[in-house]
Amino acid sequence: MRAFGRWLGEHWIGVGSPLLLLVAWEWASATGLLREAFFPRPSTIVIHLRHLAADGTLWGHGAMTLVRIGWAFALAAVLGVGVGLAMGLWRRLREGLDPVFAMIYPIPSVLFLPLVSFLVPPGEIALDVTTAVTSFFLIAFTTTHGVRQIDRLVVEAAVHYGARGWRLFATVLLPGALPFIFTGLRLGLGFALIVVVAVEIVSASRGLGTLLWLSWQILKVEDMYATFFVIALLGALLSYGLAALRTRLLPWVQDVAEQ
Amino acid sequence: MSTRAPKVLVSEVSVTFESHGRSVLALDRISLQAHAGEFLCVVGPSGSGKSTLLRVLAGLLPQSAGDVRIEADRPGTPLTAMVFQEHALLPWRTVRDNVTFGLENRGVGRAERQARAREMLAMVGLTRFAQHYPHQLSGGMKQRVGIARALANDPEVLLMDEPLAALDAQTRTIMQEELLRIWATLGKTVVYVTHSLEEALLLGDRIVLLTARPGRVSQVYPVDLGRPRGLEVRGSPAYGALLEKIWSQLREEVVRAMAEDRGGEHA
Repeated sequence: MRAFGRWLGEHWIGVGSPLLLLVAWEWASATGLLREAFFPRPSTIVIHLRHLAADGTLWGHGAMTLVRIGWAFALAAVLGVGVGLAMGLWRRLREGLDPVFAMIYPIPSVLFLPLVSFLVPPGEIALDVTTAVTSFFLIAFTTTHGVRQIDRLVVEAAVHYGARGWRLFATVLLPGALPFIFTGLRLGLGFALIVVVAVEIVSASRGLGTLLWLSWQILKVEDMYATFFVIALLGALLSYGLAALRTRLLPWVQDVAEQ
Repeated sequence: MSTRAPKVLVSEVSVTFESHGRSVLALDRISLQAHAGEFLCVVGPSGSGKSTLLRVLAGLLPQSAGDVRIEADRPGTPLTAMVFQEHALLPWRTVRDNVTFGLENRGVGRAERQARAREMLAMVGLTRFAQHYPHQLSGGMKQRVGIARALANDPEVLLMDEPLAALDAQTRTIMQEELLRIWATLGKTVVYVTHSLEEALLLGDRIVLLTARPGRVSQVYPVDLGRPRGLEVRGSPAYGALLEKIWSQLREEVVRAMAEDRGGEHA
């Protein structure tokens, strides 16, 4: 309890700001400043959220979305880190892929859905692959940069002390890039969530995106907001989870250790 | 100096860099030697190629001409180990794992690595910090780790590239005394690059003075100030006289280097 008190003492702004926003919203809807038909009170939304959870709707859609994020993120992480490392290590590969990536990366991910559906079986796999596209680029970019920003002097010292080939990679280049890889993973995971919801709205029969869009179309505004909250919460949990993992796995990173 | 056997033999070494399509001569037919167990200091103005010379000795940079020989007495140990100016530790390794890094790369067994790390960390006074990461240490402590890392490899020759230049004056003074103690204990051959004449006079058996670019050997001065040497040597008349003598020569080189830099700006 005392530990929690100390934690709260340090993080009260981060905890307080979303709470303040909710209180302001509640107040605005209650006083009629916001039209309650479109902006129901948070307290009403919570009641609907409990209904959705109680009858299992939320869990079914949520699990579906989580599974998709899991597959898409795994795909993006493995390929993104792999390609990013290769691009960081080999200049010619980097020079060859950079312009291609620069062109493809800004295309809104949902637009890949038809394209991907030509390449892989339409359905779940196409959804997962589409969700992975933007995350892949983000992870590849940050990983490449992670390798490139390693202090040359440190690499030189490692070579001087006998690290060559695989050992140089495993003891210097990979750990040196890891802080950036983690940043890329965190961004990639966030984008996987963003894109998966969009893709579900467009083409899935289940998932949080589907639930949200369906609720909107039949004007169950409270359910729409409830889903909204769940997606927001999911995003925050995934992001902070990965950040916590980084702190644990990379104790040598200065900015993390000093927090 | 216990023996006069040459340990490091540099003969007629030149290094040329390609830069913006022009070739720049950094070292011009450098010849020098260091005897076994000698503490050899190399001083010279900025841009005289002091660090370049060390990097050639370390095998990090190939010379364009000439010959470098380092006599190996004991098979299985590396010829050189370098202490870098900016310490160049691996930030993701603990102090202990930084110290054992070279041994690990050479396939030395775990037990021996640990024993060696303990010994070296004790020597530089960092036993309690074995599990710390570099970012948790002060500048002076990081450089101690750099020294321990080099010594753990038990090299034939210890190379030091302005190892104390980045430290504050007080820490530097303490570290100079530490270095003298460690050198006296281990009897290593040391080639030590510094821009500080005072440091060279405190530490060195001989001082090699390099000219401004391209680096040539201008003079070699024996430092006959006795051993063991401590900070009190700075008060002796012999120290003052030698400092004066070398500085007058170094000053010329520094002025020449500065004039050349200004000329370069206009060109």
